[in-house]
Amino acid sequence: MSVDHEMNDLARQELTARLNLIESMIAEGRQKTESWGWTFVLWGAAYIAAIVFANLGAPVAEWSTWGHHTLAWPITMISTLVLMFGYIGLVGDKGPKQPETTMGRAIFSMWLAMGVSMMIFFVAAGASGRLDEHIYIAVIGAMLGTTNFASSMILKWRAQLFTALVWWTAAVVGCFGSLTQSLIVFLAAIFLAQIVFGVYGMISERKTMARKSGAVHA
Amino acid sequence: MPEPETETMTELPELNPVIHGKLRLALLSLLSAVEEAEFTWLRAKTGATDGNLGAQLLKLEEAGYVAVEKKFVLRKPQTLYRMTQAGRQALTDYVQALKRLLGSAIDG
Repeated sequence: MSVDHEMNDLARQELTARLNLIESMIAEGRQKTESWGWTFVLWGAAYIAAIVFANLGAPVAEWSTWGHHTLAWPITMISTLVLMFGYIGLVGDKGPKQPETTMGRAIFSMWLAMGVSMMIFFVAAGASGRLDEHIYIAVIGAMLGTTNFASSMILKWRAQLFTALVWWTAAVVGCFGSLTQSLIVFLAAIFLAQIVFGVYGMISERKTMARKSGAVHA
Repeated sequence: MPEPETETMTELPELNPVIHGKLRLALLSLLSAVEEAEFTWLRAKTGATDGNLGAQLLKLEEAGYVAVEKKFVLRKPQTLYRMTQAGRQALTDYVQALKRLLGSAIDG
């Protein structure tokens, strides 16, 4: 092999290594190591807790989404919010802060908008006495369906599309079904779209983090 | 039949020396994927020492490829780096130059 040919080979290797470095660093930059699956499980547990507290003391056959204790839902939802942000604040202090990306901001904004809208609507409708249980379930189902659907489109995540469909089904049953039917479908939606999906999300996130670990030395 | 023209050495693009350094190239590539990033995050991703990382980021800042913002968050200092438009263009030009050089290295 001539000297020129060897130099050419080395030069090509060096240039290729540079291109590979660029690609790998861009991929590293896009990689998210945050995990959000736990928030779905947390809120699923919160909805179930709210239903249980609201119906405490009543026979199971008489259970409904709202139950007999009117403060059960507001107290449970506010407590869960405090718990969630408290945990995020604690965990956020450890390790380097994840950089902002446009996609991350879009997803966060959607969930924040949904949360604020739900709070405003339910507080106002509840205080005015114009809210009934059917509408309650239908609005929750519609809002969660919308947000999950939009998120699944942005993230190109089919599993989340499934959760949107589940919530939309609950919204429809909330409008047409009896109170008992609405409660059963609501509980099923919580289980599938929050608990099961949340656990699936946590497992997927752990697998992704385990696959990509350690710093890339430049 | 005339042979196809290949790029002569004088026509080959020069690689931007500011970006060509491995760590600086890694930093610009990382910043191209995010809106802004903390110093500690860049350090975790590149495995570089504080001193070396600071020096390379300073070179990029002096070249106008990176912008720095220093602030306090809950009384903790935070240094954020963001790629500038000039940095984005320089990285794009560098990649194109690399590809042209690779093409001529294969032909050569």
